[in-house]
Amino acid sequence: MKRSVPFEIFRYAAIFAAMAVTLVPILWMVSMAFKPIGEWSATGADLTWWPRQPTLSNFRFVFGESDNDLIVALDHTAVKPILSSLLSAVFGTVIAMSAGTAAAYGLSRFGSGQNLPLALTQLRLFPPMAVMIPVMIMWAFLNLNDTWLGLALIYGIVTLPFAFWLMKTFFDDMPREIEEAALVEGCSRLRVFTRITLPMMRAPLASAALFVFILNWSDYLIALLLTTREWVTIPVYMASLSSSMTGQLYGAKAALGLIAAVPPVIMGIAIQRHLVRGLTFGALKQ
Amino acid sequence: MSAVTATISEDEMGARTKPATPDEGARLGFRLTLPAQILVLFISAFPLLMQLYISVTDWSPLSGIGWWNAWEMWNSFANYTDLAADTRFWSALQRTAIVMLVCVPAEFLLGLALATLFADDFPGKRIFYSILLMPMMVVPAVAGYMFFMLFQSGGPVNDILSRIVGTPVTIAWLSDPNLALIAVMVADIWQWTPLMFLILLAGLVGVPEDQMKAATLLGADAWQRFTTIVLPKMKTIIIIALAIRVIENFKIFDTLYIMTGGGPGVATETISVYIYKVTTQDLIWGYGAAIALAILIVLSIVAVYAMKRMAKAREVPA
Repeated sequence: MKRSVPFEIFRYAAIFAAMAVTLVPILWMVSMAFKPIGEWSATGADLTWWPRQPTLSNFRFVFGESDNDLIVALDHTAVKPILSSLLSAVFGTVIAMSAGTAAAYGLSRFGSGQNLPLALTQLRLFPPMAVMIPVMIMWAFLNLNDTWLGLALIYGIVTLPFAFWLMKTFFDDMPREIEEAALVEGCSRLRVFTRITLPMMRAPLASAALFVFILNWSDYLIALLLTTREWVTIPVYMASLSSSMTGQLYGAKAALGLIAAVPPVIMGIAIQRHLVRGLTFGALKQ
Repeated sequence: MSAVTATISEDEMGARTKPATPDEGARLGFRLTLPAQILVLFISAFPLLMQLYISVTDWSPLSGIGWWNAWEMWNSFANYTDLAADTRFWSALQRTAIVMLVCVPAEFLLGLALATLFADDFPGKRIFYSILLMPMMVVPAVAGYMFFMLFQSGGPVNDILSRIVGTPVTIAWLSDPNLALIAVMVADIWQWTPLMFLILLAGLVGVPEDQMKAATLLGADAWQRFTTIVLPKMKTIIIIALAIRVIENFKIFDTLYIMTGGGPGVATETISVYIYKVTTQDLIWGYGAAIALAILIVLSIVAVYAMKRMAKAREVPA
């Protein structure tokens, strides 16, 4: 449909306003990450939107290098929290994707596990805080508290609904002819699944895995409850970046926040096409 | 998906298909769904029973006995009667509702407005689209730190306000009970409007263009086209989008807790924050379990009711 010129002007104006609101908070963090300590909490006339003297010292600081301008030094660098976030998110994704893909195929092709759609939808409905008390007790019993493995296990369960629903819609959409042809050729059903269906679904599998990884990587509450010191994840660790002497270590927090924010944003843009499907549990496709 | 062509014609297939073996399929299906079933059971049945058990006791990790011995601290449903009279609980619930009633409609209207602007093609659409989706991909905890910085009294929000007003503005957003709640809601709206935008745009693109053209020819203006064609077509999608945000918003914790910790006082304490504090700060797990279970039961009833309604709506032909 042809639009009028005033409409186009209005459209661009509105979009630019929305972009400004979208970007200001992000740019403030990016800018803060490169600010030296003197500019961190400058206020009033001294407040700067861009670092006057851009520096990488905030990044060096969170990785353990002492900063001459800061009296404090870290007894615990960001390396282990980054490792913890990575390990728990990756293995959580592996758990969710393995169980979710298998179950989705079982339901999509053989009608097994009719209770799963409802059970997994309910799992998503519940606030994590309302189911975490027994989990904390169980994890203490299993010696999984404050370990990346314990986090990975609960992440795998929490994101299982997303893996299941995404893969189910992908399997439902997939044409059956090739599978049927292979069956005719005498392949067992399991072989058809592992040798024919899964390789064909490589791209959807990758998209679903990235989607699940983003969700795992984004967790805060579960890690806050289940990790205390050894295996805290990035967001939990960030809370420790303040001290009674210097107050909030804004620059260090922003630097680490930037490190945490970049991977999911890039992945999210990469799988943009499937975001609607994942978020609506396959009720909507783009 | 790559183009897939069947190499065998139908006749051939009919002739060569082995007798169907439903058993093999059923057995494999059972085995494939088993891990998911175990995980679901592992996180639902046993924990729920444990939660129920603990919720009728005064047990806490500090009580010196294992949770399985919690019956020694049986308090005859005192947790549940306490809950009914707990004003802090009810006000947390009320606050959660207020946040939801402000944020979800705001996100919906802003998302719908943006989606309408993106309904047809224009130069730069793809890049604008990607940028506008960014907030929902930012780790919520990091968004919390971002808005914590933004709302400092000497921070950029006040700086922008100062430039608009012309005099220095030094509002202490996060330490004023009323403003803190507003700041928290702003952060939520910033982060989740893109989700509404994304879903509603997907629905808007599905509205058939020929109907729109026909309506235009018949003299319908943009508003009439929107209310008589677009909205009815998008009804399901709108319901889904709203349901997702209502569910997620009810859980609100990460950004809020990092920005205010539920404070000042209890000014931004939502239901998740309250359970968190009861459990980790007051360490009264029996009571925390009772609150959590009450919330779960209410949510389950709502969910079953909503699903029944949706099933009924589906029976009515569109």
